[in-house]
Amino acid sequence: MLQNKNSKMTLSAETMNLDFVKKVEKLSGSSVRRCFQCGKCSAGCPMRTFMEHPPNRIVRLLQLGQYERVLAGRSIWYCASCETCSTRCPNKVDLAAIMDALRKCSWDAKGASKESLVQLANRLFLDNIRTYGRQYEMRLAAAFNLHSGKLLKDFMLGPKLLTKGKLKMFHQKNKNLQEIEKIFSRIEELRKKGEAP
Amino acid sequence: MTKNVLNYSYYPGCSLHASAKEYDESTQELFKILRIGLQEVPDWLCCGATPAHNVDELLSLSLCAKNLELSEQVEGDLAVACAACFSRLKTAQHKLEENPEKRKQVEYALDAPLTMDKPVKHLLEILAKDYGLEQLSSAMRKSLSGLKVACYYGCLLTRPADVPQLDCAEAPTIMERVIESMGAETVKWSHRLECCGANFTLSRPGVVLQLSNEILASAQRAGADCIMVACPLCHANLDIRQKDIEAASGTRYNLPVLYMTQLLALGAGVSAKKLGFDSMMVSPLPLLQEKGLV
Repeated sequence: MLQNKNSKMTLSAETMNLDFVKKVEKLSGSSVRRCFQCGKCSAGCPMRTFMEHPPNRIVRLLQLGQYERVLAGRSIWYCASCETCSTRCPNKVDLAAIMDALRKCSWDAKGASKESLVQLANRLFLDNIRTYGRQYEMRLAAAFNLHSGKLLKDFMLGPKLLTKGKLKMFHQKNKNLQEIEKIFSRIEELRKKGEAP
Repeated sequence: MTKNVLNYSYYPGCSLHASAKEYDESTQELFKILRIGLQEVPDWLCCGATPAHNVDELLSLSLCAKNLELSEQVEGDLAVACAACFSRLKTAQHKLEENPEKRKQVEYALDAPLTMDKPVKHLLEILAKDYGLEQLSSAMRKSLSGLKVACYYGCLLTRPADVPQLDCAEAPTIMERVIESMGAETVKWSHRLECCGANFTLSRPGVVLQLSNEILASAQRAGADCIMVACPLCHANLDIRQKDIEAASGTRYNLPVLYMTQLLALGAGVSAKKLGFDSMMVSPLPLLQEKGLV
């Protein structure tokens, strides 16, 4: 509590969890500390009604060392990467890139956030690329329904899309699947060596 | 055979080979009639889209860098149809240019020095800038006059300001200018730059039902006959999910959602049969018949 109007609120480096702030700044290439809470990001955010913390509050929580609340919450997984916040920030805080960095931190600490459906969709999407090189929407949707237990999701839509030729049952395989696998395994290798985040 | 006036390498992206096949078909038809050559990059891969950059930036950058490397096999600037692929490829060029550390990591992942110099261009840019609006206008065989079009940009064609550099991030006009050159009328409306809910269509469709409903309502309020898009995911959310949106919101829209290449090709004289109108969920045919366009 402020004692009188002249007293200052100070934050120590420990309270701020400065190490984490610096990690996010390095991953995202954007300053976290420069935000002065004008709120333009949240005013334009199409997803704010789905978030428990709107974008400006996410940054404030980081500045106050409360990053665990951010990583455990669902807000970062409800960001659509529409880039409106980054476009409008008067202080050049790249909030969309900060959201990517936070998702990576939460993703790497498996199970940190309870928002599992968005993460499941992401995982299946990336698995598809590793296995097939390209995205096959039908395979993706089927795998999502299977893994999420929502077997009847879009049950009526599938047959309609098939008759319209919008979903393909069979597809050509990429000829460079081995090269694709090598990209994934070299990235894993770099991380094991500690040479990439 | 007449010689092409321009030639490009072509990155269609995953959706254009499946749910957005009419975008691919109409692009090929339009470019053929305009005598712009398109040659598909052999064995291109998924750009990683939103899921890759959301949790693994290095993977996202590596996949895009690999695609740029593959594109070197084909001559001409890289033409990209999908707004998301366009955004990812441009972002990768931008980030790898300014960050030597990330560049080194991606070079390791690809086991090759990066070849990143090929200009990446969205179809809109090719049509409006390389080919030119005057040329486009003189290619018109059937004016789209009387058709009121709501041009929908969505997120990634213009944002963030320093990456796509297609047009102004907050007040673009490129889509309007392109379709007006074929005689169409465009409407002023509030939601042309708002997000449709993007890939939440798979994981949290409720998000799409809400956000895309606002977009459809805004276009209807403005008196549009149809919505024009340049992104397969925007199309999927506004067209494929339109029946669900109508049911959830209790509003009847029946608003056809067309790819810009479908409308342009129609104006340039391509037969409607070749433009995939029958594979859309909200059929545009009654509207196009009423306007005397098919």
